[in-house]
Amino acid sequence: MINAPDVGLLSLFLASILTSNVLLANFLGTCSFISISKDFKSSMGLGVAVTMVIGICSAICWAVLYFIIKPLGIEYLSFIIFIIVIAAVVQMLEMIIDRFSPGLYLALGIFLPLITVNCAVLGVILFMQIRNYNFMQAVIFGFGSGAGWWLAIMLLASIRKKLDNNNAVPAGLKGTGITLITIGFMAMAFIGFSGMIAVQ
Amino acid sequence: MKTKPEDRIAYEKMLPGVLTAQGFLGNDIRPLAEIIMEDEQEFIRLGLDFEEVADRLDALKQAGEKGLGEPITVGELLVQTGDARGMLPCPWGDGLYHKNAISIQPADKPQEACVEGEDMLIFSDLSIHLLRVHHFCQGLGSPFRLDPVFLKHLIY
Amino acid sequence: MTQILIGPLAVAIISTVLAFLIAIIDKVLNNYGQVKISINGGKKVLEVKGGSPLLGTLAAEGIFVPSACGGRGSCGACKCKVTTDVGPHLPTELPYMSPAEIQKNIRLSCQIKVRKDLEIELPEEFFSVKKFQTKVESIKNLTYDIKEVLLALQDGQTVEFEAGQYVQLVVPPYGEITESVQRAYSMSSRPLDKTHIELLIRLVPGGIATTWVHKFLKEGDRVEVVGPFGEFHIHDTPATMVCVAGGSGMAPFKSMLYHMYETGAFQEKEIWYFFGARTTKDMFYLDELAELAARWPRFHFVPALSEPKPEENWKGDVGLITDVLDRYVQSTIDKSKGLEGYLCGSPGMINACINVMKKNGMTEDKIYFDKFA
Repeated sequence: MINAPDVGLLSLFLASILTSNVLLANFLGTCSFISISKDFKSSMGLGVAVTMVIGICSAICWAVLYFIIKPLGIEYLSFIIFIIVIAAVVQMLEMIIDRFSPGLYLALGIFLPLITVNCAVLGVILFMQIRNYNFMQAVIFGFGSGAGWWLAIMLLASIRKKLDNNNAVPAGLKGTGITLITIGFMAMAFIGFSGMIAVQ
Repeated sequence: MKTKPEDRIAYEKMLPGVLTAQGFLGNDIRPLAEIIMEDEQEFIRLGLDFEEVADRLDALKQAGEKGLGEPITVGELLVQTGDARGMLPCPWGDGLYHKNAISIQPADKPQEACVEGEDMLIFSDLSIHLLRVHHFCQGLGSPFRLDPVFLKHLIY
Repeated sequence: MTQILIGPLAVAIISTVLAFLIAIIDKVLNNYGQVKISINGGKKVLEVKGGSPLLGTLAAEGIFVPSACGGRGSCGACKCKVTTDVGPHLPTELPYMSPAEIQKNIRLSCQIKVRKDLEIELPEEFFSVKKFQTKVESIKNLTYDIKEVLLALQDGQTVEFEAGQYVQLVVPPYGEITESVQRAYSMSSRPLDKTHIELLIRLVPGGIATTWVHKFLKEGDRVEVVGPFGEFHIHDTPATMVCVAGGSGMAPFKSMLYHMYETGAFQEKEIWYFFGARTTKDMFYLDELAELAARWPRFHFVPALSEPKPEENWKGDVGLITDVLDRYVQSTIDKSKGLEGYLCGSPGMINACINVMKKNGMTEDKIYFDKFA
């Protein structure tokens, strides 16, 4: 039925974090990445939230793709359906966070519902579709990409914390400017992993 | 123009009826960032510095407080400070300020003839903070707008 | 044909299923059930439905915590102590809290959602705070910017208060303003009159409530009032009262003066009242107070103008009220029974008067004030 690539689950997991990091190799999901990395605690919270969303959405969307979309032959509607699923999952996650951690809910503010339009989520799902992963691969890839996003935002938050107190940064580059340059350096550093595992 | 979340929340708080009766925007429909940017450019054009103007307004307020709520002459200006019960939070959420209203007008004009916005300027502790920290002079048409041209004319 | 239908149908069904899931989760998560709120160590225990902010939950049970913004988190007036752990202070509470308050677990009751059994502490006086329905009986202009508003309590309600306390006036949406707010005003009516509340309201530029009162409120209108609040009152000692206020700060004193005159309460106290303004058009009640002083030997009224115009023929004291106060405390007031200070007005005026009083030997613990803060 599915022409799944022959990739071990562990390699897939590691690859999605290191070599094809959704943020640093594919440059998806940078909006909230830049905004929330100002604050370390919120970055932690958002990282977990995004991992959950991507993981759960991958699983659900895989099921929807292979049990509803493909059988009915409505691939042309797949984007819309995926977005609907993502929006619903984010909504549920919002309610859960509000219930169990109101502090985090307020700290994330607008960025929690913004996960819906985070290209990382849709990007991972589309990769899963294009590469014909089977269910386990989709789930592992989903959680792995989320973990990669989480890792990237934690790294950037730590770097920004150090940069904040540094007066060597010229005034014109302070804030977003130096952050973008830093992300570029991080991306180049992660290229160093590319020899390790190849999945695409 | 994409607005930062803090600015959007601040903008919501500046609408009439949220923090004050008339709000801080008057009938200005420009986005917040644009209002601030254009006023910043006016300040540069007139050779004014936000910190310095804020300091001057602060000094006028302190001199005016000696009148204990009644108008008192300070230099070439007539200053009157008034207070009301309660505190006003800054729309950006970075401070609570006493509700007061300090009005300044040229001392040589009779009080009743002075018109808000044309001869008379009204500001408060919150306006001084908005000017100093956020470079915000309030929208066109707001009765409490600290128009750069008018500021220069009146207090310099 | 069926192809065209299948697509939208599939999307519709998926959306419905997801919406259903969301609704279920919402019901489960946000159903906090019945919770107990224990106030002041069990003095009062409420059984309420959880899920709403503490401020509204208490108000629904008839306990009114003062709030100026109606629970929107923009005034910081609804503080109360919550001894149960409800998590760290929220970013919306922090701007209104001092480090000492954070230590003592003081929270903004409009930001705390009632999700479990709570133990809270409220000042005792909140238990006697009620919501009153009133009708405007009269509105009089005292000066060009101060109005005297007399409210008649409806439905047989009566108000019990001490002279010097204040109420929260509920301002309904009007003009461009879409939400209701509450603002505090001291009561100038006498406590003996249990069916009326009188307020002196000065027009503040840009003020939500004062603009409503001065431009929209008419006789016969219905107004909601919550109260009484406040710890400003006459202290039961034989000491002489030195009272200073200007403009609408007169309100609590009017209440205190007429109360003492009509009931003979606090018989040993002598009262000096200093009322400052700039010119006669900022003055009011001059004749009434002068007449009261003539009839009542314990009461001395000292109005002072700081910049009287020659054509006004002002015969009273001239100068800033603090200077006039200074002169009188030094030479005229009888200090044999000790002096107490009562101040009502802006922090600037209060601080200036406190300095004058301290300079003349009065101690800070005997100076009481109702700061406009």
